[in-house]
Amino acid sequence: MAVRLPEGALEDRLERYLEGFRNRHGLEESEVVGNTVRLLVSPEAVPAVLTTAREELGVLHLSYVTVVDRMGSFEITYELADLRGGQVRVKAVVEGEEPVIGTVTHIYPTANWHEREAYDMFGVAFAGHPDLRRVYMWQDHFDHHPLLKSFEINTRRTFEGLR
Amino acid sequence: MLSEERNIESVALSGRETGRLTDPDIRDEFGLETMDMNMGPQHPAMHGLLRLILELDGETVVRCDPVMGYLHRCQEKIAENRMYPAVIPLTDRLDYFANMHNEHGYCLAVEDLLEAEIPPRAEHIRVLMSELMRLASHIPSIGFLLLELGAFTPILYSFRERERIQNIFEAVTGARMMYHYIRIGGVKADLPPGMEDQIWEYIEGLEQRFTRDFVDLIAGNEIFVSRTRDIGKMSPEKALEMGLTGPPLRCTGVDFDVRRDYPYSIYDELDFDVITDDAGDVEASYRVRIGECLQSIRLIKQLLERMPEGEVMGKVGRRVRPPEGEGFSRIESPRGEFAVHIVSDGSDTPYRVHYRDPSFANMQLLQEIVPGHYLPDIMPIMGLIDPVSGGWDK
Repeated sequence: MAVRLPEGALEDRLERYLEGFRNRHGLEESEVVGNTVRLLVSPEAVPAVLTTAREELGVLHLSYVTVVDRMGSFEITYELADLRGGQVRVKAVVEGEEPVIGTVTHIYPTANWHEREAYDMFGVAFAGHPDLRRVYMWQDHFDHHPLLKSFEINTRRTFEGLR
Repeated sequence: MLSEERNIESVALSGRETGRLTDPDIRDEFGLETMDMNMGPQHPAMHGLLRLILELDGETVVRCDPVMGYLHRCQEKIAENRMYPAVIPLTDRLDYFANMHNEHGYCLAVEDLLEAEIPPRAEHIRVLMSELMRLASHIPSIGFLLLELGAFTPILYSFRERERIQNIFEAVTGARMMYHYIRIGGVKADLPPGMEDQIWEYIEGLEQRFTRDFVDLIAGNEIFVSRTRDIGKMSPEKALEMGLTGPPLRCTGVDFDVRRDYPYSIYDELDFDVITDDAGDVEASYRVRIGECLQSIRLIKQLLERMPEGEVMGKVGRRVRPPEGEGFSRIESPRGEFAVHIVSDGSDTPYRVHYRDPSFANMQLLQEIVPGHYLPDIMPIMGLIDPVSGGWDK
């Protein structure tokens, strides 16, 4: 098999990941909980941290990208897995009503659709994304982002603005 | 043999990398143009409602752009407005060929928040149901692959097996498709009397029939081989880059199974192999699915042998109100890694639920590997990914 998956005991590997992240980046928070390395980073540092994860530490799998609307700020979580029991959870908090964060599609190509989904559902703009279109909702005539807390479930409102 | 000749022919006609005619002069001289075509959303081979915008050069696909959202129900938004236990029947409607797995994943995430303890018998029943569900998903997916290639018999055989597994589910849960069986803290009800013997009898019979009906009939068939070998070929690096999981990843040779590498429930106590194949094409994914069915049979036998007695519901109150925080789970559904991320604000309803559905992530593959193939090769590639409409559209 051409792909090299990480080896060695889980605890050592998690320590190695944590050290690797700490040495290369100024992290706001970092800890190991169970089999997970949890990182809180500034939004600007996300692409750099994920590059470290993939290129230097060998965490090859991006499981998903998800957003939580905290009414005024957005938490963006990148869930990484090394496919051998270890997980890395990178979280960034973006302030403001119209969040912008750098894309990670050039690091993990699979982020393409996950970022499109986040854009569709929350209106998070991923700067540098090659193809930032909506995944689920209408491309035209629909200006809402349904998973925002400000979007209330209401039939009339949903179809407002449609031709 | 057949496939080799065909391969040489197709490489001569078109550049496999780009899918375009190799010689632009020929194109200009005869005024050849590419043609845009819609495939779906109402197409029998699209596994639900999927529209592919295809750019064709002759019969070769140059560009493939999947358009989704025809079955989108915004499950995540609905879940935010419901109490925790009331979300479980919604998860059934996500990937409707792997209902038990969705329920299991959601309940594990809530239990992660609650730090609930699950009785051993409930864990065994959950895993038993998951493995039966895997059989009821893998076997029809083999049938669908063959149906789309024009063979009608395997779908009848595979639906015969699925019907029988659904009969078991009906006896256990009361429903044939949307079970609502796995609950937060355990399962809804114990197995009915005599059910363990009935499952054992069915599994014994399936084991005897399996090779005859799904391997001997299909594996060496010349038409099957010529339609699937070297179709949808991808390298393990590519597969990992695309975020594939499940059979599409394992058929490239990457040895990853959530059940073994991120064990949940009682999988770390059970004995099973992770099936991989090196070819990384449609035929390899078929072989991986066959191998996984046999492993599921092995797991079900182990579970029935070691099924403990006792309660099936843990001590979780009727009113589920998890503390503030985040709950995560990651399980192996028939299509790959199904992950749930729940954010709680301490109230009755989840603040945010995120489902990572394997169909959604695996479908990105279409954009990458379909260009360069002939138009009819899309059917076997859909069979490789085996997506489910409810899954990718949430």
